[in-house]
Amino acid sequence: MELENITKRFGGLVAVNDVSLQIEAGELIGIVGPNGSGKTTLYNVISGVYSPEEGRVIFQGKDITNLPPYRRAPLGIGRTFQIPRPFKSASVRENVAIGAMFGTLSGKVSVDESLEIADHYIELIGLQTKKDTPSGTLTPTEKKLMEIARALAMKPKLLLMDEAMAGMHPSDIDNMVKFIKKVGVEENIAIVSMVEHIMRAMVGFAQRIIVMHRGAKLVDAPTAEALSDPKVIDVYLGRPSGD
Amino acid sequence: MIWQLLAGNLTNGLVLGAVYGLATMGLSLIFGVLRVVNVGHGQFIMVGAFVTLIMFTALGLSPVVAIPAALLLGIALGFAFFYTIIRRLIKAPELASLLATFAIGILLEEIVKHIFGAEFRGYNWDLGKIVLPITVIPMTKVYAFIGSIVIAALLYLWFNRTKMGTAIRTVVEDSEGARVCGVNVGWSYALSFAIGIGLTVMSGVFLTMFIPVGINPYMGGLYTLKAFVIAVLGGLTSPYGAFFAGLIFGLIENGSYTLFALIPGVEPFALTRFLTFLILLIILLIRPTGLLGAKK
Amino acid sequence: MRLKIEKYYPLIPVYAAYLVMFLIGRTMPSMWQMVALLAFYCAIGQAFNIFLGMTGYVDFGYVAFMALGTYGMALGITAFYQTGLGIGIIFIGLLLGVVMATLLSLAVGSVALRLRGAYFAIATIGVNEGFRYFVEGAKIWGGSEGMIFSRELKEAFGAEMASQLSTLWADVAVFIIAVVAAFVTIYYMRGKIGYALTALREDEDAAKVMGINVTKYKIIAFITSAAFAGLIGAMAWALKLTYVFPPDVFKIHYTIECIIVVLLGGAGTLLGPVVGGLIYAFSKYWLAVVAPGFQLLIFAPIIIAIIMAFPEGIMGLVKRRAKGTGWEKYII
Repeated sequence: MELENITKRFGGLVAVNDVSLQIEAGELIGIVGPNGSGKTTLYNVISGVYSPEEGRVIFQGKDITNLPPYRRAPLGIGRTFQIPRPFKSASVRENVAIGAMFGTLSGKVSVDESLEIADHYIELIGLQTKKDTPSGTLTPTEKKLMEIARALAMKPKLLLMDEAMAGMHPSDIDNMVKFIKKVGVEENIAIVSMVEHIMRAMVGFAQRIIVMHRGAKLVDAPTAEALSDPKVIDVYLGRPSGD
Repeated sequence: MIWQLLAGNLTNGLVLGAVYGLATMGLSLIFGVLRVVNVGHGQFIMVGAFVTLIMFTALGLSPVVAIPAALLLGIALGFAFFYTIIRRLIKAPELASLLATFAIGILLEEIVKHIFGAEFRGYNWDLGKIVLPITVIPMTKVYAFIGSIVIAALLYLWFNRTKMGTAIRTVVEDSEGARVCGVNVGWSYALSFAIGIGLTVMSGVFLTMFIPVGINPYMGGLYTLKAFVIAVLGGLTSPYGAFFAGLIFGLIENGSYTLFALIPGVEPFALTRFLTFLILLIILLIRPTGLLGAKK
Repeated sequence: MRLKIEKYYPLIPVYAAYLVMFLIGRTMPSMWQMVALLAFYCAIGQAFNIFLGMTGYVDFGYVAFMALGTYGMALGITAFYQTGLGIGIIFIGLLLGVVMATLLSLAVGSVALRLRGAYFAIATIGVNEGFRYFVEGAKIWGGSEGMIFSRELKEAFGAEMASQLSTLWADVAVFIIAVVAAFVTIYYMRGKIGYALTALREDEDAAKVMGINVTKYKIIAFITSAAFAGLIGAMAWALKLTYVFPPDVFKIHYTIECIIVVLLGGAGTLLGPVVGGLIYAFSKYWLAVVAPGFQLLIFAPIIIAIIMAFPEGIMGLVKRRAKGTGWEKYII
């Protein structure tokens, strides 16, 4: 995927300022930046919730800048939300199945096939015991796991994860990182993980880190380089490997 | 000749529009502050109309007395409904408050019907007329016009100059922020709802000064529709937008009536009402935030 | 279309209820009127539920679709009664009714359904009044006087058959419509449409990001609901009463009753409208004897109470009790 000179304004506020970046198939990328740096807006531009004032979004060679969100999902763009958004009255299984039903590249997935795909990912992520419970009753962590399973069921080529590991136990984070990397490699998904601070998750996960600051791209480099970049240390005022 | 007729009707339309505008301000206020769509709006207007009717025919009191009476009744009803029903529905899905206010409207209709009967009633209050070169306007309508403008102006002052009014404006902008600043948001909600309903009931009085006939328990529905058109036109959240939109609407309504009357074979009264609905659809399609309202 | 039979088990209680009602009505002729009333309310409940229950949007102008169905039948009969097509005339009328209702729903839906919940409701508030005034204002279809076609019906079928149609067959048709509506409801609920509607009802934005074309699915539900309304109007109003009168067929009253039925029984459930329809129709029938004209006065506060305390309706509560038991499969 390519973002060319994306600028997004809200009235007088420039949320994203002339950002360009490229993501190759299967890459594992981290986007880092404090609140207000424009990360979420960037995600919303990529998934189609917002339309940029300037710039283009190109996915697999196609210009999708003006495509509505529901058309982008079947092309292979999946996303999770920072605060999970389950379809509360539906069971976990049904939630994940919805991902498969409407979000897959092949387009014509039947209800039964979707339920099977759902079972597969639920098992993979470890939620089998809660398969048939209404998703509104899950714990926050379980909801996050379901978000991920649901996004994976969409068989995306690009998965945008939003603070997916915030608030998780360090050991859970390590497991999640391993899991995500494994799935990313197995299914050739480019995964972008977005966090506010550089955490252990990022270091173990990302091949490349993009740091955002006040709507602009500060740094875009392989992980080791990015972490030792003086600009990054400036922005964060602290040791990047401390968390 | 036609132009004279048109001009006359447009003047009438403007005058009526002020009353329409006043009637809609309550709707916009309630939506702006509470995000609640009061589907029972027209029925509250009907209540005001009945207050006027009863006070005039049964108690011999002029509608001028009915104005504060209706306002007080409306405020009382507003508080009552707020604390029993609306308060619990602010956090609920939209559908809930839509249906609840709808049901409240039905309840009002039925209560009025059972107490006063379903026939069409009216009253006659003649204070003379003003003769203008283009048209003749009864004094009652003039008073209604002036009254509406005065009240709208008072409301403006209240919102912008008093502490409570400012507090309510902050709640419209950002309820969480307002809470943090020490604004009593719950009371703001209650007061806004009460004032909104009060305005609505009071406007029923003005409406009857304009159209003193056809008063019946089921008259509300039509005014709900008109109010919504006006509110959407003026930006659903802005009471002033509503007032000006009311003026515009009055002009359009009367103007179109004159024009429709020229077309043979159609019934202009009904067609005007149809136009009302068409306008609503068109505006919702093009600019749901209204022509005069803020972008939301 | 592979029909997995298990998915359709929930129809069993519904069809059982209808069968019982029908049998009671046929074996005890004095009960037929009441049974027909029950069937009517179950039918419109089911039709209305397809939209309200599954999308969570309320269409305040719903009765307009029933009205159009009525006009369709009226026009069909008055236009074709001399063609000697026999029962074909009725089918033409039915087709006209459904087509007209569907067209209106397409027109309104394609505009209004792009809007979010509250705006949509506002847009629909005017639909039935708007259309009524269009008919009256443009003086089409009899204008404000409506149409009476009992004479045409008799000419087309003979007095005996005409009376049969108006009484027996119109009511039986309502049963059939209810049966079909129930089937369509469960077909939607179990299929992709149901999942899409659940998603968009819970969280429209998340649904979009999941790849769901929310407007398309809203329109599908809307049109289906409208089409059934048209069928019901054509049969229960036009054929049965042999006249159509604008102030009657456009009465917002009926939309209110639809809302009561669906909310009482449980919006979005299959059995809900049936339960709600039965309770409401019984109450109406009973109140008509005991305290005529009072039913709305009594039901308005009931709706408010339901919204505040039991938004899921009766079936919602029953479903929760049934979870984990063997009944789950049958209670939807």
